[in-house]
Formats: sequence, structure tokens, C-alpha cells
Amino acid sequence: MTTFTFTAVPALYQRRLTLSVRTPRELLVPLVTPVLFAVIIAPALASIIAAPGARTAYMTFVALATAGLLIPLNTMFSGIGVIVDRQQGAQRELLVAPISRASIVTGNMLAAVSITALQVAVLVVCAELRGAAFVTGGRLAWFAASALAFSVMMYAVAELMANRLPSPEAYIGAVPAVAIVPWFLAGTLYPITSLPHWLVYIARVLPLTHALALLRYGLTSDGAAALHNIWGMRSPAEMAALSLAVTCGYAVVATVAAMRIFARQGVQ
Amino acid sequence: MAINVTEAHPAARPAPGPEHGMIVAEELVKTYPGGVHAVRGISFSVAAGESFGLLGPNGAGKSTTIGMLNTTIRPTSGRALLAGHDVQADPMGARRVSSVVFQDPVLDRPLTGRQNLQLHLRLWRVPKEDGLARLAGLTAAVGLACLLDRPVATYSGGQRRRLEIVRALLSAPRVLFLDEPTAGLDTRVRHDLFDTITALRERTGVTVLLTTHYLDEAERLCDRLAIIEGGLIVACDTPARLLASLGDAVLELRTGGEPAAALAALRGRGIGGDGAVVIGGTITIPLHGMPPSRAVELVHALDLPVRALATRVPTLDDVYLRLTGNRISPG
Repeated sequence: MTTFTFTAVPALYQRRLTLSVRTPRELLVPLVTPVLFAVIIAPALASIIAAPGARTAYMTFVALATAGLLIPLNTMFSGIGVIVDRQQGAQRELLVAPISRASIVTGNMLAAVSITALQVAVLVVCAELRGAAFVTGGRLAWFAASALAFSVMMYAVAELMANRLPSPEAYIGAVPAVAIVPWFLAGTLYPITSLPHWLVYIARVLPLTHALALLRYGLTSDGAAALHNIWGMRSPAEMAALSLAVTCGYAVVATVAAMRIFARQGVQ
Repeated sequence: MAINVTEAHPAARPAPGPEHGMIVAEELVKTYPGGVHAVRGISFSVAAGESFGLLGPNGAGKSTTIGMLNTTIRPTSGRALLAGHDVQADPMGARRVSSVVFQDPVLDRPLTGRQNLQLHLRLWRVPKEDGLARLAGLTAAVGLACLLDRPVATYSGGQRRRLEIVRALLSAPRVLFLDEPTAGLDTRVRHDLFDTITALRERTGVTVLLTTHYLDEAERLCDRLAIIEGGLIVACDTPARLLASLGDAVLELRTGGEPAAALAALRGRGIGGDGAVVIGGTITIPLHGMPPSRAVELVHALDLPVRALATRVPTLDDVYLRLTGNRISPG
């Protein structure tokens, strides 16, 4: 039985971060579309569709919706690094090192989450500069916990896909279904209750729906509406705790699956 | 390339513990899904400090054997030990005492050579001071010191291979796996690497298991060789003894007629009684002490349809042909 240790994680984390920094497209490409959306497209739309006096609320709403796009896109881009590692990089060297294979996934995951956190911060700052107004107070922890758990879950899904799909082409082909389609169903630009009745049930089980409701609860003053659309309860804190538990549950299941698949792939 | 051999290496210490050898393989079998029998029951033992080669053509089972020993391929049955660590029961222990140079480059190309080496030191948990001293000594020995801060993507094929060999030795492994270490490199670089590997082996005392399908590589780098074919070891001995099994000379005859008839005629004159091999229209015959000039006279006397006739010293290719009926490499 392989010992389950994480002593190599700092070295693996540093390696992945260095590789990402040396590959600027990994940092910039996922950021381009969301920032463009939050900084240019959203203000333009606001001038047409936001009610008088509601521009700021609209800009804030769209900025957080954009974070719900940025996190999946960035983690999916990070997953490509796993395929590059396998095909042209040092993955085989890592597989014969005296380290647990779970630590390889963990190192990659921590780097992806760090980069995602940086990008979300850039997005929030850019949106605020263009007119969004975020509430920073006691509920900020809900925002951070949600962003973290959702990033972990999405990277674990990316790692799973990278280890199951044979080529970068197949991986890229699967990204829209995993990273973009849920975005339209998860209450990003409109409440989930405005979807057809049967789609609401689907929306309520999507991890993005819960994560996004928490992002809004953490950074906006009236952010409990999205949570209420999921749970229909009265206590915002209870609903937030439930949604966080759901998001964390998804993250744990996906991470365990990613580690098991990687370990299995590492031995023929 | 000239290499200074000055510093004693920790791996030069004798290994404690291994029952029968530094590398022990006992009846290793690997059958892939779909019933592909890559390795059919291989056993061998490699002593501490020895260099042991697995020689065979592509698909013979060499890389699968190395994969089972370095824990990346799970044996279907059998047992293997590295410095006393069972590769299945204690894979972490087995990985801790070994390093691998893979057939294809396995490096982070965007990173510098130094960053690739430092990662290895951290993963194998080499104490920092020892690691940095070893890094400086080994990279200087193979002429890479001045390239270390360049991205690996800018290295030539030979430089990358040397970097990988140095990397593998940084953790002072007791066992070093070299999986076709010169495959795909040009002749001059290959000969440079022979010198590099030989000098580093002398310097470190590491036990080497090498796979190759190049005969010159096997002769230059291996103390003992196992010839592997169809997942089985068909012969195992020192290169000198394997060659001696064919005597001092072989006769090679290319006939324009029926080779079987020609061989029968030769046997009638006392040539080719033991170990003759026919591949296409070429007959190779160990002379087993008969003077080459006498053998040539006898062939001419038979009035065979001869297109080419020569005598020469035997090569490992002849040994391989005799054992398997296949030609191992073109050159």
C-alpha cells in the first residue's frame, strides 16, 4: 500500500506555479473574456437594460455572474497542463518519485486555485472600477469559502477529464459542456425561477448555482435572493450553510475521484 | 567528452539488505488487457555495482520489464526487489532507492535545467547541501554547468539526455534504470553518451539496468546481457562469453540459389554443423575453430551459386540470430 503523504506538495505546487508563470497564456487567456464582459459588455448593456437608478446593482450582479464563468474557464485551462505533462512534460518522472500520487494532484490543484483566486481578485477590482459596488463585511467569508470550494471542484473535474481524455483536442471539445453550459442555467444573468419549471430542478443541483448564490450572498447587500430561489427558506445563514455544504460535498467527491483516477492511470 | 572522476559518491557504498542482488526479478509476467503477453516469465539478478543489459528488438518486452521494476507497470505475476524493497509491497521504498532515465525526454521544457534538477532533489528529499554539491559536481562532469540557467527547450537532444542522466543520479540511487538511453540520437552524441555513462558509473558505483536494441551500446555499457525475445530471456551471460559461443570467426555466404540446399551441401563438407542461421538468401555459419581460409576453399570447391562470401569475427548480432532467428538491428 502506498503511503499517503503530502510532504512533496510544496515542491509540486511551486513547480506548477512556475510552469504557469512561464506560460503567460495560461494566466491571460481565461481572464480575457470575463474581464471584457465585466468591464466593457456589462456597462454597455446596462445603458440599455438597467432600470434608472439600478445601474450599480446591475453592474454588481453581472460582475459576480462573470466570476461564475471565470472560475470554470481558468480551472479548465489549468487541466490542459496535465495533458501537456503526460505527453511532453515530466509526469513520468513524478510517477517514479517516492511521493504519493495524490500529492501530484494536490500540488497542481493548489496552483490552479491560487491562479484562479488572483484572477477573481482582478475581475472584482476591474468591475468595481467600472461601477460595481461590493459589500465587504462579515459575509466576505462566504464569498471566499464558496470561491475556494467551487475552484477545487472545477479543477478536480478538469484533472479527471485530463486523465480520461486521450488528447488536447478531445479535452478542448469537452470544455464548453462542462464550463459554459451550466453558466446559462445557474442563475448567472437571471434568477433560476425564471427558467422553465423542469429546468429549475436541474439548476438547483448544479454546483455553480450554489456557488454563485454564495458569491452574491457574500459580496452584495441583497444577495440572499439567489439562495432563497434554491432553498425557499427564511434564514439566509442557514441557506448559505446548506449551499456551502453542497459545494464542498461536490468538491470532496470530485477531488477523491480525480486522485483515484490519476493513481490508477499512473500504473498500467 | 573527457570526464573527471574525483569525488566518491554515496551510492558507491555497498547496499545492505538485498538477499540475492541489488535487482532481483523472479518469474515476472505481464499480460495486458486483450491477452497481449508482453513478458512471459523473466528471472534475473543484478549484483551491486553491476551493469546489466536487456537486449532485444522493439516489442520484445524490455520496457515492460523496466516498467514493472520502476513501479509504473503492475506485474500480472512474479516478484521483483530493488535493494531489498519489493516493488509491489513497498513501492515507495523501491522508488526511493532508484531513478529512471526514460526512453523519451521527460523534462519540463519551459523550466531551466537547474529547476528540473532541483525538483528532483526536493522530491527525493536530498539534504540541501548534499544536493547542491552533487548537482555542481555532476553537471560540471558532463559539461552542462554553463547551460543550467537556460530553459530546457533550448537544449539539444544530447544535452537533454545528459541532463536527465545527471538528474537521475542526484538522489544517489542504488539502482539506475536506463531505458534505451541513446535512442534517436546521432552517432557522435551516442558515443559521447557512452563515455558519460561509463564515467558516471565509475564515479557513483550505481547498479545499472539498461535496455537497448543497439549492439554497440550493449557491448560498451554492460557487464552482463540478457537477450530477450517475445517476452522471454533466451540467453544471459557476459558479452565476451556470448560471443565466444560462436568461436573466433563466422562465414557469411549470400547465395543466389536455394539456401537450404546450399546449407545441406556445406554440412556435407563439415561446415555449418552447429549453429548455422539462414535469413533470406544469407547463411551465417560459426566456424568453431576451422581456419577461415580453409572454409572459403571448401565453399569454392562446392561450386555453389555464391553472390557474396566473407569471413569475419562474430558479433552480438550473430549471437542474437542464432538464438532467435531474427536480426536485431540494421547496423
